[in-house]
Amino acid sequence: MPPLAAWSAWITSFVGKSPPLDYFMELLGSDFFIIVTICLIMLSLWLGHPNPARREHLQRHIMNASVAIGISSLVLIILKTWKFWPRPYELMESAELAVNSLYHTSFDHSFPSNVATVSFAAATGVWFGNRKAGAVLYVLAFLWSFARFYGGSHFVVDLVGGAMIGVVTAFMITKVFMPRIEPLPTWALRLARLLYIA
Amino acid sequence: MALDYFLLVFIASFGVYQILSIHAGLKGLWLFRHQKIQYIFGVLVIIGAYGWFFITKRAAIQIQREVEGPQQLGLFLAAIVSSYIVTVIMSSIIQARGSRREKEPVKGKQHEQGIETLKTTTVLGGVISSLRNEREDKD
Repeated sequence: MPPLAAWSAWITSFVGKSPPLDYFMELLGSDFFIIVTICLIMLSLWLGHPNPARREHLQRHIMNASVAIGISSLVLIILKTWKFWPRPYELMESAELAVNSLYHTSFDHSFPSNVATVSFAAATGVWFGNRKAGAVLYVLAFLWSFARFYGGSHFVVDLVGGAMIGVVTAFMITKVFMPRIEPLPTWALRLARLLYIA
Repeated sequence: MALDYFLLVFIASFGVYQILSIHAGLKGLWLFRHQKIQYIFGVLVIIGAYGWFFITKRAAIQIQREVEGPQQLGLFLAAIVSSYIVTVIMSSIIQARGSRREKEPVKGKQHEQGIETLKTTTVLGGVISSLRNEREDKD
């Protein structure tokens, strides 16, 4: 059992008591709702600013966020080769009931959470370029992670670990990796401009 | 489920392009003359796409395991690109039919201007203008 595992037993005991809350959490925790929303917000930032200089600044940070999502996903694949602990629904009856009524079971291990890693990497990457949009993405990342915790899909430690991986990866990509691979990002932007997509 | 997901992103991003083109002043992507109509159209398209997918496909989403990770990313990229292409084609046709006057040629190279070109012309207009500029440079 991971640390704070009792929290999962407590939170999943609420599932089934309030159908509207369950429906809301099912929507938030689905594989599509939050991630599609996050990506559409990133798409809006990519094209949506009227000032060309400011738009390019945002495009560079969206690029950083996208690279951070990719690299953090690779980190996830490596970490998931170690089996830290099973999913909550494999250990607790209340979590099993919760996941069966809200989501589906997964093939991979519990730690670290894919959802938290990817969404926090995106939020951090965007936050460096636009604080307001970054804050919105952090809220969405938190809601997605909380919904998975509520539905018995992850322990708190999985989510905190995933969020930390996402934040650190995005920080390193933005501050260390991308500045060092210049002029590649600039060339990518020039190509995108040639194709009328930047 | 993969096709449903593709359609969700395709339709929702179509709405996003309409809204953001107003905000960024990218007239070359506009489908309507009136900004309010375009904005309402964009919002309705996004709400419609989300409503259709998350209400009518609820049972399938709950048990889905088909669209995960790399496939989800691939479908997302394919959907936003195809939606952009459709937006570009539709706006070029609509604006070409609406106004046949000669547009002011776009100044500067396309790899420097990018979508800034779309503030004054459509993608089709921009491509024609770039080709003319290239020919004039050669002459």
